[in-house]
Amino acid sequence: MKLVKSGHMGLLVLLLVIAWGLTPGLCLATTQNDNRPARSITMAAEYPGVEIPPDENVSMDLIFHNRGKSDENVDVWVSKKPEGWKTRIKTYRYTVTGVHVASGDDKTLTFEAEPGKDTPPGTYKFRVEAKTPDGKFKMAQNITVTIGTKEKAEKKDRGVKLTTSYPEIRGPSDATFEFSVEVVSKLDKDDVFNLFAQGPKGWEINFKPAYESKYISSLRLKADQSQTIAVEVKPAMMAPAGQYPINIRVSSGGAKGEAKLAVILTGTYGLEVGTANGLLSLDARRGKPANISFYVKNSGSAVNHDIKFMSFKPENWKVEFKPEKIDAIEPGGLKQIEMTITPYEDALVGDYSVTIKIDGEKASKTLEFRTTVKASAAWGWIGIGIIVAVIIGLFGVFRWLGRR
Amino acid sequence: MQGIKVIFRKELADHFSSYRFIIIFALIAMVSLITAYMVGLNIRQQLEGVAKPRFIFLMLFTAPGAMFSLVQFVAFFGPLVGLILGFDTINRERNEGTLSKLLAQPIYRDVVINGKFLAGVAMISIMLVSIVLVITGLGLLVMGIVPGLEEIWRILIYLVISIIYISFWLGVAILFSIIFRSTATSALAALAVWIFFSFFVSIGASILGNALAGDTPQSDTAAVVRQARIVKAVQLTSPMKLYTDATATIIDPMRKSTRSIVSMGPMENLSMARFSGPLPLSQSILIVIPYLISLVAITIICFAVSYMVFMRQEIRSM
Repeated sequence: MKLVKSGHMGLLVLLLVIAWGLTPGLCLATTQNDNRPARSITMAAEYPGVEIPPDENVSMDLIFHNRGKSDENVDVWVSKKPEGWKTRIKTYRYTVTGVHVASGDDKTLTFEAEPGKDTPPGTYKFRVEAKTPDGKFKMAQNITVTIGTKEKAEKKDRGVKLTTSYPEIRGPSDATFEFSVEVVSKLDKDDVFNLFAQGPKGWEINFKPAYESKYISSLRLKADQSQTIAVEVKPAMMAPAGQYPINIRVSSGGAKGEAKLAVILTGTYGLEVGTANGLLSLDARRGKPANISFYVKNSGSAVNHDIKFMSFKPENWKVEFKPEKIDAIEPGGLKQIEMTITPYEDALVGDYSVTIKIDGEKASKTLEFRTTVKASAAWGWIGIGIIVAVIIGLFGVFRWLGRR
Repeated sequence: MQGIKVIFRKELADHFSSYRFIIIFALIAMVSLITAYMVGLNIRQQLEGVAKPRFIFLMLFTAPGAMFSLVQFVAFFGPLVGLILGFDTINRERNEGTLSKLLAQPIYRDVVINGKFLAGVAMISIMLVSIVLVITGLGLLVMGIVPGLEEIWRILIYLVISIIYISFWLGVAILFSIIFRSTATSALAALAVWIFFSFFVSIGASILGNALAGDTPQSDTAAVVRQARIVKAVQLTSPMKLYTDATATIIDPMRKSTRSIVSMGPMENLSMARFSGPLPLSQSILIVIPYLISLVAITIICFAVSYMVFMRQEIRSM
């Protein structure tokens, strides 16, 4: 019901406005439509109440609104300030005593208050006043600044702080890890900070500016500034899998900061295969098994589990492994595998390639054996026997029938 | 063994002086020369673009020239030489009445046949060796390649096998000359045997293979191989097939089997192609050793049979 009513009202107003707008003097519609006062200016402080630690400055905006139809000049001054404090009103460039605010515009000045030395904690009141030169508008704004106690302040970090979003990184042993660390200086002066890192033995830890590839060992920071640096960590060769703490420290004079980082190595996976004497060829006879042994070495830094063997061989050939698979090899460990190759009964004489694929965890190697299938010499002996028998038979015939 | 030397020398002299031998020898030599020359020219074209060919020298003997390679030529027409040398060995002497005169001398009867056979073998050896030497020399001249040690060995073995093979046909011819009184009959019989083994067996083998294995589709590998086996088994009854198979791997180191059809899976093919090298000589010999043995054995047996028949024959009644 209410909604409907307000809708009626809105319609009515709209009609009125249209009717009014259609009256003569349309060209003045904008000025006549402007129902702002002829002159109106206000002033406001951004933060009328502020709490600060000791020895810190207050800085805030003073905002002037001109809602009137005419531009205004405003004088502005600090009318009241506690003893020992220095105050000023400024723009980004000058200390100012007056400001021009155009009609319908906003202007912002900065109010700064600096406590004197040894200003005790407590509440301090400031008063900023402003007026137009003709005195028609007078504005005043109270600002309350509370200085915290010393104890409270000392708890806060005065010095340097190291923070990182990712204190732990995991990856394989042969990877390079990069931590991003933010160095936050809370000192009130510029200073050079030395960077130290402590990690496991044999590890290489370097500091780099973010997105640059040079190594640094110290860093200059301005007061109250922070910078992101990268900590590059290269694990030692053959570092076994595990968690490694890395401490980084930044120090300058009395101030120092520390951060704990950690690298979790998952280990590398690598296999090395070969035969004891490096020979990758073997002789075999048709249908007869031929043996050769090869070794599998874990050249990675993680335990390699479940190593299987596959053979790429001619059809009808048999390739067997003993053991058929390896459950696990320790890093640096060596296992001997006995392989039996049985060529097909009808295989041709000649050289065949038999390729073995050693398939481990995240690592695989191939080994190619040149398998020379040789003809059986048995036939040779049988043949010689036959020939001898035939020749004996011939001489038997000679003896039996000869000398007639 | 005084007598065998006399017979041997006399027989050699007869062979050398006979016109038909000179005609045959001229024919063989001419054909060999032409073949080898054609091959020599062909090889040059074939070898263009080949990075590093091996055993080029052996190609002189195996590569087909205009029509035949030398190996094929010897396999087909070598038997003719043996037959021509031996078809009238005994019966000519018998017909001319010289055999009984000969045996009236202080000469044993076995010496006659041994001497005649050995003289024939010597003739064949001289002929083959000279042909091979001529071709070798021509090869050196045309291609300018020196054969390697293994190639020389292979050629030597090939030569020995060829001599044995032609000696077998000599033995067959001598056997017929002992059995048949008429030289014409024995010549025709020997020719018939030669034609039978050289041409009909291979034709008959494929017919028999088709008949036994049935109609095999080309896609059925096992059936095709089975049929090829039957054909091969039948063909092996022919000494010519024995000889061509025996020399196949000896003279061509790249050949790995005497089989004409080899069933090979894709993996096996790949695996073999990985190291496509020639076989060592010992392996080549071992592959064909059954063929060599059979060849030697049938030659000796054939001679032994003719020896026995001759020794037990009545001669004086002539």
